[in-house]
Amino acid sequence: MNLISGIKLYIEKMCSESGPGMKIILLDKETTSIISMAFSQSDMLQREVYLFERLDSGRSNERLKYLKCIVFIRPTKQNIQLLANELRNPKYSAYYIYFSNIIPRTDIKYLAECDESESVREVKELYADYLCVNPNLFSLGIPNCMANLNWLPDALNRSMQGITAVLLSLKLNPVIRYRAGSQAAQLLAKLIYEQITKESSLFDFRSNMDGAAPPLLLVLDRRDDPVTPLLHQWTYQAMVHELLHIKNNRLDLSNCPNVPKDFKELVLSGDQDDFYGNNMYANYGEIGSTIKQLMEEFQRKANDHKKVESIADMKNFIESYPQFKKMSGTVQKHLCVIGELSALSNKRNLFEVSELEQEIACKAEHSAQLQRIKKLIADERVSIDDALKLVALYALRYERHANCDTSGLLQIIKTRGGRAAIVPSLIEYAGTHVRQGDLFNMVRITDAVKLTRNLIKGLKGVENVFTQHTPLLKETLEDVFKGRELDPLFPAINSELVPFRRPPQEVVVFIIGGATYEEALAVHQLNNAGYKVILGGTTIHNSQSFIQEVVAATSGIQFKHTKSMIKYCSTDNI
Amino acid sequence: MSGNPFDSDEDQSSASGEILEGFLCPICRADLKSIDVLTDHFARQHAEEEDALKSFKDIFTKAKKKILNPFEDEKGASVSSPAGSSSSAAGKNPNGNGDRNGPSNARSRLNVFNYMARQQPGAECSHFEYFQSIRNPRLERYASETNKLIIRLHRLLKDLPADSVQRRQHEQQTVAWLDGSSVKLCPSCAKSFHIARRQHHCRLCGGIMCNDCSKFLPLEDAMQLASLSTTRSEPLQQLHQHENAIRLCEHCLWLLDTRKDMHESRTCRPLLVQVYEQIRQLQKEVTPDLDMYLKIINSLNEGDTIFTLADAGALRGKIGQVAEAMDMRSKRILAIFCEPGSREEALKKAIRLGCIQAIKERMLSLPPLPEESHIRQMQERRRMETEQRILTEQRMAMEAYERNNMAANQSNVGVPGPESGSFAQGSDLQSLNNWSAPQAASKSSLDDPLIEQINIIKGYIKQARQDMNFEVVETLELNLRELQREVYERQRQSQGSTAASPTEA
Repeated sequence: MNLISGIKLYIEKMCSESGPGMKIILLDKETTSIISMAFSQSDMLQREVYLFERLDSGRSNERLKYLKCIVFIRPTKQNIQLLANELRNPKYSAYYIYFSNIIPRTDIKYLAECDESESVREVKELYADYLCVNPNLFSLGIPNCMANLNWLPDALNRSMQGITAVLLSLKLNPVIRYRAGSQAAQLLAKLIYEQITKESSLFDFRSNMDGAAPPLLLVLDRRDDPVTPLLHQWTYQAMVHELLHIKNNRLDLSNCPNVPKDFKELVLSGDQDDFYGNNMYANYGEIGSTIKQLMEEFQRKANDHKKVESIADMKNFIESYPQFKKMSGTVQKHLCVIGELSALSNKRNLFEVSELEQEIACKAEHSAQLQRIKKLIADERVSIDDALKLVALYALRYERHANCDTSGLLQIIKTRGGRAAIVPSLIEYAGTHVRQGDLFNMVRITDAVKLTRNLIKGLKGVENVFTQHTPLLKETLEDVFKGRELDPLFPAINSELVPFRRPPQEVVVFIIGGATYEEALAVHQLNNAGYKVILGGTTIHNSQSFIQEVVAATSGIQFKHTKSMIKYCSTDNI
Repeated sequence: MSGNPFDSDEDQSSASGEILEGFLCPICRADLKSIDVLTDHFARQHAEEEDALKSFKDIFTKAKKKILNPFEDEKGASVSSPAGSSSSAAGKNPNGNGDRNGPSNARSRLNVFNYMARQQPGAECSHFEYFQSIRNPRLERYASETNKLIIRLHRLLKDLPADSVQRRQHEQQTVAWLDGSSVKLCPSCAKSFHIARRQHHCRLCGGIMCNDCSKFLPLEDAMQLASLSTTRSEPLQQLHQHENAIRLCEHCLWLLDTRKDMHESRTCRPLLVQVYEQIRQLQKEVTPDLDMYLKIINSLNEGDTIFTLADAGALRGKIGQVAEAMDMRSKRILAIFCEPGSREEALKKAIRLGCIQAIKERMLSLPPLPEESHIRQMQERRRMETEQRILTEQRMAMEAYERNNMAANQSNVGVPGPESGSFAQGSDLQSLNNWSAPQAASKSSLDDPLIEQINIIKGYIKQARQDMNFEVVETLELNLRELQREVYERQRQSQGSTAASPTEA
């Protein structure tokens, strides 16, 4: 269950099936991202793929008849049309066509009718239709998936395709469960189920026959846990995403003034960069010491090479040149990123902010926390966005609290010029009226096991104040693997597959409304404990992008649950 | 499915429902998947129940002894089999295999890219058959049509008269022209025919069109299509410009053009392609050399004497030459003229880049030749080690022998079974001696052909070295060693047969 190797194997297949010779690859916008997440340009060069071109680029029709052409596109109407035009006037000698998802037969017929010069050599579906971020994390690159708190039709369809592609590339035919009460989750689960039934021959994997419990696809809704994407993160990957924003494994530092020119755009891929692969889940503090080690090692080598006296020395230097350059590049790159992170953390007073965020997320101490929030959000060193996040967390936690003072806090935000309207939107999006499960561990007395567990947790104290919070997803998954009763909270859509009291071996989780790197870390920890879990989401959120999604999803609807904050709502929600 | 050996017997019992199996915690009944996790969990969560922990551990140590053997076997199998199956992916993640052998270590290292098992490629679905079933009948229809046209073209051009009236007659004879009396409008542009817009005929299908809709195929191209040699057509060159072509309708011309295109794209081999193929060929040829070089360097560093430093040097020189040749050819590709900003230019740059990368990463990053003194040191050390080993082995053999003798003396008859076992275990040398002793005398006369064989092999090795065929060198060297050892053994035997008897007594 490794998504990156899943994609890689598919691409290898494309390159090898076309045989030896120079190749060009024709892509569309999305498949370009898909490939670039798994392979670097030099990897492709080694596979004789020398040119990359977008099918929709409309470049000159210069003919290169000695090139073979690999076409890898999503099966959209527009792409089919463009490909048909290309086949009518073929620029290259042979075409190997790969679709990233299931394609209707009529489209194939149409293409076949256009291939008048007999240049097509292969037509295949290879289900590499998702962005693999980590081996256990995928995204579909949909920044906003809802409008008026309902699915956008395109996003719904794309999600269905993306998830079926994940299932096919890992050869899973799962039990599908969705979060009860979430219409979005139910609708998506239903669509996936219909697709699987329709294409039952594709999903006929023999592995399910040997009596093992079938895998599980769990469709969740971001609205169950709006807290995780709002918290500041301290593990490397999550922190970089929160503060600098990773997009398709690429980091754009062009706005940072202190960054050297070569590092304006960085690739962060654990697959190609060992340092990153080893440290993406490490804490900020650990990274610092690791970098230092790496630096020392690097300096030792650099010094070694500075003593270039004889010709033999020079030769040695050149001989170890590629590794040398690679290593120096890695060190400098991560040093640069870490430097940026530390500057931002200090400037925005993030240690203090984060500590309070974690307290709010994990402990119920209304009056003390309210005082601290008031003090912090009035502090000019705390950025307005961070202040807003604190208020949002407060509003979520104490929505039903007798002395809830969200309006008072929003007033402070407003006077500082912040977008106070975000908080009521967030409550509408994911307030207590939508949520299920116990996000804030508000335990009923009857649930004795949980009560004692919390008590033990409380007695043990916390190891690290910045990482107290564990996402709801972790608890959900633990319940799944312990074989707890799932039906009330997560009903199955194809219940005939559900085994009696046997936990699944493999779980694919999909979060509508975006996953986070904190949840990816939780999944990673479970994987290390011997389970097999894969996490996906419509996108990978940080707090900024999450707030944007919330605003987009709630714009234009009438707010019913935030009467007390009515004067802070934006006008179109009243 | 998983590496858990209990999975197989789980099936029958789990059907009854209440019985849970696996690595269950006896207190909270959670299934914890593996021994390590379970003990860890137990120590942490139920620390207060000291006694329970102790008894629990006892159970485990017992159980461990029982299961450990099959468990380990399966683990080993599950590691080795997937690694071999997907060799293509194996190259890219070199840390993958090593870390799986020490799972506890890998888990603490927190590297996601290591722990996941090798996997098969995902599902796929080919539509090519359906595609062909739609495309091919269409293409066949076109092909037969085009073939017909080409046959006609051939006939038309074979004895094409230069005179225009004769030519017209000849054309009408080959292809019957459609009767145009009832055709009032041009079929392709729908304009009416009159004196100013006269009817014209396609020379290949006889169809009717107006002058504006007519296409012209230059005679030279036509000759090529009809695969007639152009030498014969010299008088045609002098023909009037307007008549130096064949009038065709659009459809016929399109058919002929498509045929020409397909032909060209199949036979197109510009200089770029030729040079590129040379580069690939070089790259392919040098790959075994690279592996061989690494092998030689390794064996040199370990103090082996199969290869010499000169071998490594020669091979390195050869690799360097190939690298140079590749570099030169990629530069040559870059120098081929093309439009600036065109796709071809981008292609050439990419080829050059790929070439440089391949040279840098695979050829220039080779480890340097070891120092001669270092090698000698290593060889020396190795020899010492071997001598040491032989000495200890001999000593052990002696001891075993003596012990054996004593045992045999104690129980006069002795128990042959176990003794002979320990005998063989104790020393190979000794058993070999004993075994081959009676034969040595009869075979001693064969020594000469052995030595002769050795000399022959030495000759071969020399030749293989010159040809830089190091794989052959390796096998031959190993053969040679065996032969030399054999000879040595024989000699020792003949000397030892007299010397050995006193020790035995």
